[in-house]
Amino acid sequence: MWAALRSRLLQPSPPSLLNQQWKLGFAGLGRCLSTSGAESVGDRGLLDLQEVEKVLSDVKADDVRVIPAGKHFDWADYMVVATGRSTWHVKNIAQALIYKAKQKQKGARHIILPSVEGQDSGKWIVVDSGKVIVHALDEKARAYYDLENLWTAEPPQKESKQDLDKAFVKIRPKNNSKKPAKIST
Amino acid sequence: MIQPQTHLNVADNSGARELMCIRIVGASNRRYAHIGDIIVAVIKEALPNTPLERSEVIRAVIVRTCKELKRDNGMIIRYDDNAAVVIDQEGNPKGTRVFGAIARELRQLSFTKIVSLAPEVL
Repeated sequence: MWAALRSRLLQPSPPSLLNQQWKLGFAGLGRCLSTSGAESVGDRGLLDLQEVEKVLSDVKADDVRVIPAGKHFDWADYMVVATGRSTWHVKNIAQALIYKAKQKQKGARHIILPSVEGQDSGKWIVVDSGKVIVHALDEKARAYYDLENLWTAEPPQKESKQDLDKAFVKIRPKNNSKKPAKIST
Repeated sequence: MIQPQTHLNVADNSGARELMCIRIVGASNRRYAHIGDIIVAVIKEALPNTPLERSEVIRAVIVRTCKELKRDNGMIIRYDDNAAVVIDQEGNPKGTRVFGAIARELRQLSFTKIVSLAPEVL
């Protein structure tokens, strides 16, 4: 498998392939790249956007917002932000998503679960299922971290490289003291 | 390579400016901490009128090190400074924004919160 992966990487491949590998790589799903047949295995383990939305509406999460990956982040495809009414509710949202992931791959030999963060506190729980990342926050935390603003506001303008190039160009000072020798005609 | 007594910059807007590592969390006899490790640190310098104060003991996650980070594909990442993000006991970041570039390895080490706050992921 690794040989196949390596040979694939050695080829002049578009940069998106590398990104793709990282998106899936966290759960050891690198094998998705090596064969096309294995892709369904990876897809089965990961929750997709429709399923996440359905689960969130089932557990009555407030104010669900889906943010597609633009220029703000390239390591996932979608960010989903949801608010829970209490810490219990936030924990239940996370549990429901994990349950859905388990149900989805019932009978499979290896069950791949999304990684969950912050389950003990219940203020901000992140369920990272590869391409879709779900943030469940309580109201205070959502106001405090203000995640939508971070991902929807215009990114700070990066200084264009042309200006930098110009700055480094050495300009030879013109020497006007000497008059050019006149070419006699 | 962060060890006790190493001074680190702070890569978030929590209000601390400079930290000093006093302990690496998670092992009894470990010499160095690397990217993605949790350390116990003292705030050496803090901005005025912020919740964090000088000489307060906090936990932090290392996000940038001068010591290079090697990846399996041969890529090597090395930053100009040693920097950390202040977290609380439960792993939530104290600040609301993270500055500078962050390595993707933090996501695998289950610091997705910090990665999602960062402006750039390497």
